[in-house]
Amino acid sequence: MEDNYIIELKNVSKIFDDDTIAVDNFNLYVRKGEFVTFLGPSGCGKSTTLRMIAGFDFPSTGEILLNGKDISNLPPNKRPINMVFQRYALFPHLDVYDNVAFGLKLKRIKTQIKDENGNPVLKIDHKLIRELKTEYRVIKRKKHMSDEEKNEKLKALEEKIKTAKETPVPTYKLNKLSTKEIDAKVARALKIVDLEALEDRDISTLSGGQQQRVAIARAIVNEPEILLLDEPLGALDLKMRKDMQIELKEMHKKLGITFIYVTHDQEEALTMSDTIVVMNDGEIQQIGSPKKIYDEPKNAFVADFIGESNIYNGTMIGPKTVRFLDHNFTCLDDYALNEKVDVVIRPEDITFVDEKDAMIKGKIVTKIFKGVNYQYTIMIGKNEVIVKSTKSYELDSIAGLHIEPDGIHIMKKDFTMNVYTDAWIDKNNNVMIDDVPFECVITQLLPGSSIDEDGYVVSKDGQHKYDFNDADVVAEIPLDKIDVVDDIESDECEVVGEIVDLIYVGDHYRYILRTENEEDFVFVSTYSYNLNDTIGLKVKKEDIKLRLKKEVTEYEI
Amino acid sequence: MVKKIFAYSYVYLILFLMYVPILTLIVFSFTNATYIGTWNGFDLSLYQKLFESEEIMIALGNTIIIAIISAVCSTVLGTLGAVGVFYSKKTSRAIFENINQIPVVNAEIVMALSLVVMFVFIGNKIFAGANLFSFWTLLAGHIVISAPFVYLNVKPKLQQMDPSLYEAALDLGCTPRKALWRITLPEILPGIFSGFMLAITLSLDDFIVTAFTRGSGLLSGAGNIETLSTLVQAKIKKGPIPPEMRPLTTIIFIIVVLVVLFISLNRNKGISSKVKNRRKLRERAE
Repeated sequence: MEDNYIIELKNVSKIFDDDTIAVDNFNLYVRKGEFVTFLGPSGCGKSTTLRMIAGFDFPSTGEILLNGKDISNLPPNKRPINMVFQRYALFPHLDVYDNVAFGLKLKRIKTQIKDENGNPVLKIDHKLIRELKTEYRVIKRKKHMSDEEKNEKLKALEEKIKTAKETPVPTYKLNKLSTKEIDAKVARALKIVDLEALEDRDISTLSGGQQQRVAIARAIVNEPEILLLDEPLGALDLKMRKDMQIELKEMHKKLGITFIYVTHDQEEALTMSDTIVVMNDGEIQQIGSPKKIYDEPKNAFVADFIGESNIYNGTMIGPKTVRFLDHNFTCLDDYALNEKVDVVIRPEDITFVDEKDAMIKGKIVTKIFKGVNYQYTIMIGKNEVIVKSTKSYELDSIAGLHIEPDGIHIMKKDFTMNVYTDAWIDKNNNVMIDDVPFECVITQLLPGSSIDEDGYVVSKDGQHKYDFNDADVVAEIPLDKIDVVDDIESDECEVVGEIVDLIYVGDHYRYILRTENEEDFVFVSTYSYNLNDTIGLKVKKEDIKLRLKKEVTEYEI
Repeated sequence: MVKKIFAYSYVYLILFLMYVPILTLIVFSFTNATYIGTWNGFDLSLYQKLFESEEIMIALGNTIIIAIISAVCSTVLGTLGAVGVFYSKKTSRAIFENINQIPVVNAEIVMALSLVVMFVFIGNKIFAGANLFSFWTLLAGHIVISAPFVYLNVKPKLQQMDPSLYEAALDLGCTPRKALWRITLPEILPGIFSGFMLAITLSLDDFIVTAFTRGSGLLSGAGNIETLSTLVQAKIKKGPIPPEMRPLTTIIFIIVVLVVLFISLNRNKGISSKVKNRRKLRERAE
């Protein structure tokens, strides 16, 4: 079965020189002709993974196989893979035609050299020996590979070098493509991207969309086995982006080559892909078809990143029954009794009903016209519920809501990290989690930035200023970075709540503290507390990890 | 409206003030008076004298030879340096960058003296007391002063270049060397060219380093190499600036103007021959 895969990434990790882990133990198998999308927030390692497939970065450990052959340490010019770059990277001193023809002019076709009698000429392949020796050196220098793996690989290479030195192989002559062949190929590629009329134009005279097409033509003209696309539509306006999405999808069908696409735009990923790989922090969160990822997100991160969603803390209170929003709902998933779970409900799965038939009731606090429908926020107790409906309801009226069992998706709680998807920044540059301000390091939202005396964040080069007041962020706190404060009256105590769950794991306890507003804080401690104890918690500001929900440019002033 | 007139007249005034000395010089190159300021009527005899003066012609020849050779050498060195430093690691890049700054901000006299001391030292210790001062020491001196400026002209072009251009070239099948030659080099060519021009200018009118590092050779034969700047210096020690220098500077100025005009006129060419060839090929195929 393995033969069906065109590219395989096995346990691939990338650790940069400054010991930051960009990609952690990445495993992916791609079938020929598939459209795969790497989706994740900026800095999640998706571009690094793509660059490793292209050959611009080499994996620190693990291997990349192309058609079953290890290409992990092959330079980019030796791989039958082409890339469409984020900012197109067209050569400005060449016109459209020469840009597209660039790869073809470098291409060499192998033909066997034969002697007068038509027998192949046999020689020792010195070039192969040189290449193998280079690879040997590269592997020998690797820092993060285990000694065992290293020795194994080096041994295999030594073997290869030995056989190469002993066995003569048929020799080849490398022929250039003729100008005529190149011309025919360029004309065809330009036709595919609808740019026949512009072949003599300078790159600088083209619009963004046209440059995009040239970049695609330049890549596909080489007939690569895999086409890599690094956020290729990021620089286009919305309308153009939508058109190009459809065109790219059609091109993929027509060409039949494998596409690997990188984006941070979940809608783009859902529209175009056969398979989506959701990434965060260098790790794969979920791999699946767009429908599967949307309907059955594996964890809170995926649910929040793909589409809009309501996420609540719930408790399983019976077979296929979950309690959240102070109501018992029937659901389709089954988990152990009393297990704490995350509940995800898509806004479109909640319907308005008459108050008497309603499962839950709440006051409509916001109403936004979105074109196709209205988006309402309804307060139920202290929880917000986002609902979409084509019907218009009065603000401040009481709404009755109904959720079908198949609209409720239950996920096992992820106990590696406290993730707060609805946190925001207040005017004092604190992060608000559950309406409680936490001191945090705001400059982490923008690498290398600093804070000026007015409280604005200034970029590294001093050129840009950002006001993050009211910015929506996702806050993450590791379990072991939360400290308990016994005296809930003291100043250092940041949040107070009741312990609702505790498990003894080996040498310590894992607690879940629930606040009045039904926000959960999961933490570990070696001290023992009892269920329903009221305690306080504090978090060091450098331990809160923040991530903006929107692009940083939206906050520029 | 008034504001506009003021703005324009300011610009023209500044331009006028910048060109007044050159214009005066050009005007007075067409009279045979020894001292500028006296006008003996229109006369081309200074031009004739200029071409007859062996001294000046030798100095001019020396100057041009040194300028071109030193500019070529320092352009190659400076460009390679800039490319090498740009693609090296962060820490070594910072070190090189700072080292390169020093000759730029350093006083030329310090540079010249250090060169002299070094050449004398090397001559004494390594070449058994030989006198090293010759065309080669002069050339070395000129390269040392102009290479850092070439580096400074090429570096911003490298920084402006989209780093993915180089990667795109690799991706399309270039070896690193080919990518450098076919993509990086054309991209930084304007920087290399302006660096070359600056190197020529620096060498043309350099006096201090020339005076310290020159020896015998070139067109001057056994005597010390004279360049235009050293010649003028030697002349004004004894008397007025030689009047033949006026037509010479006029000619140099006119050549510079022509070069600048040529460059700016040639920037926008019509359809290149390459495109025409391509069209022919297509027609034949059809």
